[in-house]
Amino acid sequence: MRTPLFLLLLILTQGMGLRAQESPGEALPVLEHTLENGLRLFVLPRSGAPTVSFVVQYRIGSVNETPGVTGIAHFLEHLFFKGTTTVGTTSFEAEAPLLREMDAVHDSILAERGRHAPDSLRMERLAARANDLAATASSYVISNEFDAILSENGARNLNATTSSETTSYFVELPSNRAELWFILEADRMRNPVFREFYTERDVVAEERRLRLETNPSGLLYEAHLREAFRVHPYGAPVVGTMEDLQGLARRDVEDYFRRFYGPNNAVVAVVGNLDPARIREWAEKYLAPIPPGQVPPDVEVKEPEQTRERRVEVVFDAEPSLRIGWKTPPATHDDAPALAMLASILTGGRSSRVYRRLVLEDRIATSVTSGTGPGSLYPGLFSIEAFPRSPHTHLEVEAAIYEELDRLKETPPREIELQRVRNQLEASDVRRLSSNFGLAVQIANSETLYGSWEKTFSFTGAMEDVTAEDIQRVVRKYFRAGQRTVAVLVRETTEKGRGR
Amino acid sequence: MILRMPNPRSGFWGALATALLCIPKGADAQTVGHSPREMVRALEFEELRFTPPVVRKEMLSSGVEVLFLEDHTLPLVTLYARFKGGYALLPRDFYAAATALPGLIRSGGTQALSPDSVDHLLDFYALQTAFGGGGESTFSSLNTLTKHLEPAIQLWGELLGYPRFDSAEVEIWRGRQIETIRRRKDSPGGLAFSEFNRLMFGDHPIGWEMDLGDLAPRRLSTETLGTVHSRIFCPEHLIFGIVGDTSWETLEPLLEDMVDEWPACSAPLSEPRVPEMRREAGVFLIPKDLNQSTVVLAQPGGISQGASDDYFASRIGNSILGASGFNSRLVTRVRTEKGWAYSASSLWTAPSRYEGIVGAVTQTKSESTISAVQLILDTMAEMKTTPPAETEVDRAVSQIVNGFVFNFQDPAQIVSRQMFYLSQGLPEDWLERYIRGIQRVSPKDVQRVFQKYVDPEEMIILILGNPADFDLPLETLGKVQIWEVPGVPRGGWLGAPAMPSRW
Repeated sequence: MRTPLFLLLLILTQGMGLRAQESPGEALPVLEHTLENGLRLFVLPRSGAPTVSFVVQYRIGSVNETPGVTGIAHFLEHLFFKGTTTVGTTSFEAEAPLLREMDAVHDSILAERGRHAPDSLRMERLAARANDLAATASSYVISNEFDAILSENGARNLNATTSSETTSYFVELPSNRAELWFILEADRMRNPVFREFYTERDVVAEERRLRLETNPSGLLYEAHLREAFRVHPYGAPVVGTMEDLQGLARRDVEDYFRRFYGPNNAVVAVVGNLDPARIREWAEKYLAPIPPGQVPPDVEVKEPEQTRERRVEVVFDAEPSLRIGWKTPPATHDDAPALAMLASILTGGRSSRVYRRLVLEDRIATSVTSGTGPGSLYPGLFSIEAFPRSPHTHLEVEAAIYEELDRLKETPPREIELQRVRNQLEASDVRRLSSNFGLAVQIANSETLYGSWEKTFSFTGAMEDVTAEDIQRVVRKYFRAGQRTVAVLVRETTEKGRGR
Repeated sequence: MILRMPNPRSGFWGALATALLCIPKGADAQTVGHSPREMVRALEFEELRFTPPVVRKEMLSSGVEVLFLEDHTLPLVTLYARFKGGYALLPRDFYAAATALPGLIRSGGTQALSPDSVDHLLDFYALQTAFGGGGESTFSSLNTLTKHLEPAIQLWGELLGYPRFDSAEVEIWRGRQIETIRRRKDSPGGLAFSEFNRLMFGDHPIGWEMDLGDLAPRRLSTETLGTVHSRIFCPEHLIFGIVGDTSWETLEPLLEDMVDEWPACSAPLSEPRVPEMRREAGVFLIPKDLNQSTVVLAQPGGISQGASDDYFASRIGNSILGASGFNSRLVTRVRTEKGWAYSASSLWTAPSRYEGIVGAVTQTKSESTISAVQLILDTMAEMKTTPPAETEVDRAVSQIVNGFVFNFQDPAQIVSRQMFYLSQGLPEDWLERYIRGIQRVSPKDVQRVFQKYVDPEEMIILILGNPADFDLPLETLGKVQIWEVPGVPRGGWLGAPAMPSRW
């Protein structure tokens, strides 16, 4: 028989109470160990199937780049899979001089291209020479051997990612093959060879075309950040500009690697069905001998205070979309939990304020999302992205968003809105512990960014303590017209866009 | 049962040793004996001993089968409901309603609860739900903290069994769908893939693309949705899968109560239609002024899922050709060696009831489009003329065999896999049979299936991009036809004035 629903409805009038205990993530039995060379190791043994997840994360990303070499960290992420002096080659001894000669030819190509009137015949000759050298060098290359060794051993999830502030490499292996990871990872931390450099540069260019240049959301995102951050490196794309990519030389990348990818700038997280003593033993054996490098300097560039609204239009053959971003402090700031809470109150699900208004009531948009970014360590943006529903325009959507924010400035959110988010946080505190891989990423990321693996878990506690007044205060403080940057994607430019 | 890792055909170490034998001795004299390569070679792995959890099979009094895996790792329970039936087993008149059904079960309220009340309850209990469909099936999942299990199942039962399909929510869904149609052309990849389905499968559910006619009020109304619901959401179509921190003793009464009064199906579903696929080769263009082309090429693939030698050989063949990432030939050639694409992959689908398709996809800059297509076709042709190297087959098999344990990493994955087997009529031990089957595949088998089923000269090729910037005339690949996309001006977007704001 059907269940009476009055029991369900009762809860609408009751709260589940504020959480007073620590997040279960904070209580995880994570073992910490720092090697003599500065590498920080975090090991979390778990029950379950005999598999292990590995994440190595470096505290370096696009924020450490300067104009002219944007995209170098991401490009290096690709090149880190190209093998070492012994993996991926039949003879590095024979390969090395060819690589050097290729670099010289590519330098000449760049120099010729940079001349006022490039000599097309010379360019052709140089290109032909570069191709010949690449062909000869490739006869010594075992393409993708690093990947092949791991894959043959049953590896899953072998990949890497670069963000504004970090670069992460990850893989999962059956537990009995964990030592293999230490051997291969230590080898590429110590002896990487950035072979197949110039073809991989073309691959990154294809990635840029795929993610940004033919993708309306990617285009708008790039333009939005560029407009909002005119000085700070948050304004540059992680993948780099096409011009900078084409100008990157192998020695630039090698030099960057030698300086900033030392073990003292790395965090390793190992999570799974494992023996912690053996993990530590292998770390000492394989990773400890790697000499330390430099630590990238903190980014000193500061974005000047924004006092007037900025607007940018991206003209592209696609339906309109909209991004509004307000300057907000970094994730380490005391207001960060309130801003994270605000994102849920505004656009977290069907009951959230702005989603409800735009999608369900006014029906002027098909979706709306919000969040902070693009990084965590420096002042960034609280952004709202929305997709107008025809015939409604981005201006209508924009106006409705401002109205909702103004409402919050006038009246703080209701307690039930906060409780809804707190309940979800309580459940997500448990859900986020589900997978080995997810835990390894969270531990590494939290340690890399904040110097504390627990920080990511305690942050939700700080969010749960946010009050309605806190929400109102941060909205009043940060959501001012003069602090916002608006980016719209349109098919044809408008007077309003031209005028700004 | 103790699960022992099955040995690959010739063993991983056989495979790696073979690969290493290709390396000239003394190539790196100063490190021989100490190099990472040598260290890798010297590794000996302990046997992986593991007892996979056993999924319990139960049946409710209504005949609904339940697969249950108890797992107390975290205070969470996940429930899956899989129903036979979806738009592919109904006439086209029901396409919009059957597509909308899962989403409107979530958002459209129930007979006893308004849409708002449902939202509040889901939020309050912090329930994570999913609702979706796959043409021939419809599914939902629910994840809850253990302490809310009872109200969670009650609410889930309300949603699945007694939906309201609130007319205002139906209108919101319709409006968003119309916008989705308008925006379909904004994603080059999405457009190329869905248009390829239309090109290949025509008026078969796989080739259907939602249009304004589908969204007409009579085809998408509270009543139509109710009709579709009554044909799909009935006990005889349902399989439950449950995993997590609870016991069968707790679950059984809750599940009995949930489906106890659900009526039988109101009318039978159609049998799955066997698609009449396009078989003649052709080159089709969707012109669009972008600097990167999307390429989709395929032909009927001759293989369906089942324990045949050809099936297993096609799995390994596909892996070698382009389905195993960096270990595949397409990635190695198109990406690694040429730098022409960020991704290139092959596909060889094998549905359970009819043959699938075999082909490849990539995205490449306009200036390398034709060369990339030719390289893909040449790489396919090589699979016919020469058997793959023993090492390639070993690697493909080793990857699956040595990674076998990952099939048991996530208890939820174990249950949903068993649900899939049950729904498809596959034996419970299909995974083990699969592993045994691929271990029998030889290089000659791979060559044989490519010779039997794959003809690169007869591929149906669809390119979305700007031919003015292609490296070679598109006609190099064959006679070119413009592929008309509904709602797009004839001839595509090139040189066309701004798109009309409404279709």
